[in-house]
Amino acid sequence: MVERNLMSVAMALAGAAMLASFGANARDLMVVGFGGPFQDNARTALFQGYAKATNQTVKDDVYNGEMAKLYSMVKSNDVIYDVIMVEAPELVRGCEDGIFEKIDWSVVKKDKFIPGGTTTCGAGAVLWGVTLFYDPAKVQNGPDTYAKLWDVKTYPGKRLLRSTPKTTLEIALLADGVPAADVYKVLATPAGQKRAFDKLDQIKPQLMWWKSGTQPVQLIASGDATYAVGFTGRIVRANDGGARYPLLWKTLLYSVDYWAVVKGSPNSREGMKMIEWITDSKPLLALAETYAVSPANKDAAANPALSAKNPGMLSSHVSDALFIDTEFWVQHGEDLEQKFNAWVAK
Amino acid sequence: MATRNNLFAAGLIAPLLLLVVASFIVPLLVTLYTAVGNPEVRDALPRTAAAVRAWNGEGLPPEAAYAAIAEELALAQEGQSIGQVSRRLNFEQPGMRALLLKTARAKTDLRAPFKGALIALDPRWGETDLWRLIRRSTDALTPLFLLRSLDLSVAPDGSVVHAGKDESVFLALFARTFVISFWVTVLCVLIGYPVAYTISTLPRRWANIALALVLVPFWTSILVRTTAWFILLQKEGPVNALLQALHVVEAPVTMIFTRFAVYVAMVHVLLPFAILPLYSVMKGIDPVYLRAAASLGAPGWKRFLRVYLPMTMPGVAAGALMVFMLAVGFYVTPALVGGPDDQMVSYFIAFFTNQTINWGMAAALACLLLAMTALLVGVARLVVPGFRVGTVGL
Repeated sequence: MVERNLMSVAMALAGAAMLASFGANARDLMVVGFGGPFQDNARTALFQGYAKATNQTVKDDVYNGEMAKLYSMVKSNDVIYDVIMVEAPELVRGCEDGIFEKIDWSVVKKDKFIPGGTTTCGAGAVLWGVTLFYDPAKVQNGPDTYAKLWDVKTYPGKRLLRSTPKTTLEIALLADGVPAADVYKVLATPAGQKRAFDKLDQIKPQLMWWKSGTQPVQLIASGDATYAVGFTGRIVRANDGGARYPLLWKTLLYSVDYWAVVKGSPNSREGMKMIEWITDSKPLLALAETYAVSPANKDAAANPALSAKNPGMLSSHVSDALFIDTEFWVQHGEDLEQKFNAWVAK
Repeated sequence: MATRNNLFAAGLIAPLLLLVVASFIVPLLVTLYTAVGNPEVRDALPRTAAAVRAWNGEGLPPEAAYAAIAEELALAQEGQSIGQVSRRLNFEQPGMRALLLKTARAKTDLRAPFKGALIALDPRWGETDLWRLIRRSTDALTPLFLLRSLDLSVAPDGSVVHAGKDESVFLALFARTFVISFWVTVLCVLIGYPVAYTISTLPRRWANIALALVLVPFWTSILVRTTAWFILLQKEGPVNALLQALHVVEAPVTMIFTRFAVYVAMVHVLLPFAILPLYSVMKGIDPVYLRAAASLGAPGWKRFLRVYLPMTMPGVAAGALMVFMLAVGFYVTPALVGGPDDQMVSYFIAFFTNQTINWGMAAALACLLLAMTALLVGVARLVVPGFRVGTVGL
């Protein structure tokens, strides 16, 4: 009798679980980003804009770029994300691993993106970049090139770089006089890698390292570092908040974040339609009303009203900049990460 | 009767046993397998794998292997499964990824005989070592990840060699992890001991308040506590302001992103794990022993060393063990307040899990960390008197 009762409880539970999983198949469209002020503003202008235009419910969630979760989601065929914002190297890897759907270019219009704004599995969302900056209240006429950043006599103080080989090794080569166009050619050779590390050795005692994107502005403000290389978006926002950091566009290194659809998403068709809508210039211009966005959409990027509103818009400043080579980092990332960590610990 | 009782007892503990198996043993075995498993190439390129396994490893493989790899690479790229192969081979030999992608893209232009066509496309396809690498990567198990985690690697001819000086990180990383954990443990016990003693001698009401003061930070998220230290220790932070006001230092000192900050934050986070077992042991010690020692003429230091300290050893051992085990796996705290040369093993496990999706490396590091920790704790049990797992709290 007791067993029978237990059985029926178990059956009821199993039934409820099955119902729940059926329910999950017909769920709302779920879009995922890196959070922060971008997502807070994109929620209104892009996500809910699309929801209103198509009369459906769109929810959004935040992740911090960790791929392990996506991989296990796809492998266990329990996909709870539909549209997701991804950094370039993760997008390329995930595309080759079948973690992202190939973009349906009959739904998403390919010709509206800036050069480099489309890949097999991704449609360009926004540009991001890092530049050199310092506090003019503490330093008059600070370094405005990476070569000058290496001049520790003229410019004493700590230099804050990102604690990854990506961007750091490029900066070392730029400082050593390698033209931007040749940086990745040089860095692909063992001699070029040694050259970058040797260059970093020259100022190693003056170097500090940051991990989280909020740190450069924070550590310049707190006086821990005198010069820093940080995300331009954060520098612009600090300036909006009263800081007067110079934007040294000649020192810009930049890349693109993409929208992608998670493989096996029950809403993949709807996801493609959403990507088409949120990469159009009209909603992006609406987003620009509240947030200084650097869109990967050609028309939006060329819109004079937008660049006037957002002096930090990257597409206006890329002429002297270095485009971070995604393919290079997918190829050499693991190897250089190991060498970087060996070098740091030396 | 006895057997029936045994069966009944077994039935009672069965759910617990299942829980331990499902939540501990199975994941451990999966991790172990991930550290030595080698399925990538066999899964994505099955016909190539069969063809190179039939080859004797001398000279170049037969045309069948060339034909299979040309065809299967293109299929794998189209079917979005080329990533695992290119990553696996690129990890062992940087540059392989570009070669495989180039070959996959060129498929439509390739014509039989594929041997000549592939070598014409890229001369690397004519190297015996490259084919030996592919052949090695079709073995059922691979020592590659475990070797790499110990700064060793497999040379093209299959022998095990030391990694170059500018690539050796992991041995130093394990050493650093254990050194940091050791000092954090020592500091926690040294600071925790007098604190626990004081609390154990307080009247009950005050003892409860003191324990609450120990427990409140214990209930606060590690992330919050670490971030608080980040703010306290920065150049224009309160600690520097205090030091300057007291004229201990003239100019503010850099403290964040240093080993010092890692020690401060880790000791603060882990201190309750030392205090609580110490307190519970000290609470159970009858003061009559100390009085007896005093009445027999032992001076204060001798009463402590000969009577009190030996009786609190189980608490010291339990607290130290708990702090050490937790410290060995620390991730957030060194990542936030430490510099790149203060990172511990977990940092790399997270890096390989999340950034490069090299789960073989992540699993190998995790397994080695577990094995080394078990070894150290085992040695400690033999060497330190009174050190027993299974005493207070464990």
